[in-house]
Amino acid sequence: MYFYLPVAEMSANIFIFLAMGGAVGFLSGMFGVGGGFLMTPLLIFSGIAPAVAVGTEAAQIVASSVSGALAQWRRRNVDVAMGLVLLAGGVAGSVVGVQLVGSLRRLGLFDFFVGICYVTFLGVIGTLMLIESANTIRKARGGVVVSARRPGQHSWIHGLPLKIRFHRSKLYISAIPPFLIGLFVGLLAAIMGVGGGFIMVPAMIYLLRVPTNVVVGTSLFQIVFLTAATTILHARQNQTVDVVLALLLMVGGVIGAQFGAAAGERLKGEQLRFLLAMLVLMVGLRFAWQLVAEPRDLYSLSSAAGGA
Amino acid sequence: MVERERTRATISLVAVLGLGLLLLSNSESEAQRRKPPPPVAKETARGVGEDIKRKQEPGASEAVQADVSARNVAVTSSFNGTEIVIFGAVDNSQQPSAESGFYDVVIVVEGVPGRVTTRRKSNVAGLWLNTSSATFDAVPSYYAIASTRPIEEIATDEFWSTHGIGFQHVRLTPAFGQAQALSTEDLKQFRQAVIRLKQKEGLYVQDQYAVAFIGRSLFRATIELPANVTVGPFTTRVLLFRDEKLLSQYSVRLTLEREGLERHLHAIAFGYPTLYGIGTVALAVAAGLIASAVFRKNGAH
Repeated sequence: MYFYLPVAEMSANIFIFLAMGGAVGFLSGMFGVGGGFLMTPLLIFSGIAPAVAVGTEAAQIVASSVSGALAQWRRRNVDVAMGLVLLAGGVAGSVVGVQLVGSLRRLGLFDFFVGICYVTFLGVIGTLMLIESANTIRKARGGVVVSARRPGQHSWIHGLPLKIRFHRSKLYISAIPPFLIGLFVGLLAAIMGVGGGFIMVPAMIYLLRVPTNVVVGTSLFQIVFLTAATTILHARQNQTVDVVLALLLMVGGVIGAQFGAAAGERLKGEQLRFLLAMLVLMVGLRFAWQLVAEPRDLYSLSSAAGGA
Repeated sequence: MVERERTRATISLVAVLGLGLLLLSNSESEAQRRKPPPPVAKETARGVGEDIKRKQEPGASEAVQADVSARNVAVTSSFNGTEIVIFGAVDNSQQPSAESGFYDVVIVVEGVPGRVTTRRKSNVAGLWLNTSSATFDAVPSYYAIASTRPIEEIATDEFWSTHGIGFQHVRLTPAFGQAQALSTEDLKQFRQAVIRLKQKEGLYVQDQYAVAFIGRSLFRATIELPANVTVGPFTTRVLLFRDEKLLSQYSVRLTLEREGLERHLHAIAFGYPTLYGIGTVALAVAAGLIASAVFRKNGAH
């Protein structure tokens, strides 16, 4: 069954995109990640214009994060003050990012830039996760008890002005570092079509020292509002949000996530992280290949209305 | 018990979300049903009738008339390309039979002209990226040539060049103010790239034997409009030849229009982008909340 996508301007097989949403939803439910970093590349590789993939995926992330954020909220795992500071930075970053997408599209460099971003971030994060999870698995086999927390000194963060008391995180730190982290994640969210949890979570744990139980809830809280703002900005600025495509992905994703979460409960944390790291690296390598391999056709077309 | 509850919850979630999709697909088929039937039969009868009458006046000059099977093609949500039939008749046809090859007919269908940028990648420090580009104005979004035999045999290259017919002669005007200075050689290469890529997308097509006479004066051709075609007005030119000489020509317009849900969604997305963005977010939040409600129901038991 085919459906003509109103913004992507192509006829798409409904079941392919439902299945794609379902598969990514399954993985994101299993690993507890947003799935943007998987879905956007899949959309791009299946022939959707990169700019449309990025804009549409933002809408899908809203749907997949809302239920998680709500569940965390009920468990009182959201630090609202921290979330708002991150969000303020995030929206500022998103505004800049959406503008940047427009400019890069006009220059014909958007595909290239997206590729570079994916290779860099997925490469670094995948490698770090792989090393960490492999070490944990090895130590666990050796019978050593591993602590997830690492001691560290971050005195320079405590020296910054504009200090705010973040009650739920039990922190009294400057608002500047979380704002900057938010800004950076917002920029990436707009350019890469991701929620940014994969950067936000480690940054909050290792840079801000936010307690682990508050990190996920606060990150999800922030992602919902950030991707909602990004969707509206993309729709307004670049007209690259396809509501039909988004709906297909949402339906598939929401259902897939349910089964994925059940599957994830059967695996250990470090095993999950190891698998996720492999997945992240594979997507990164696919982008790297595209940048390095000689294209089959050196020429490409873009019309004023269509894709990048 | 819990298992059954969960199954029921999943089913209700699928049902609610699926309902939206079902509604979409229903409205699209309705829009298609409203399309009027193509007026093929009537035209055919008239063409043949006049043909017999004019047999007695051999001195009179030939003229061509044509029409398309559907002047308005609806692009609905189920649009996946379409086929149009172009048919016509030669007044005062002198040819003894349909197979005689006495006349040649060339049909050119052109889509909405628009601005197209073509880019060329090159290797910079081991990475492939777009480094140069050329922008052309008034590039037909779609271009099809159908003929009774290869057009090089029908008329001279000069003729095709002056009429802008054939892939080598499609009018591509370099836009004013290019991103960078381009040499004539560069422009030529970019031009060829536009034609080649459009052919690859199935938007520039040529069928050398697509036009067939089915009577002494009546001829027809089918032309494929792929799913990725740009909506808007199309011009169809029908040219009649005899011995490399253009005897008569005729133009028909046909329009591809978005219809039904497709039309509304597109109009909102481009006319009220902020509203469209907010609507999309509302839809996403609703989908997420429905899922959340279902999950909570599971957890309660």
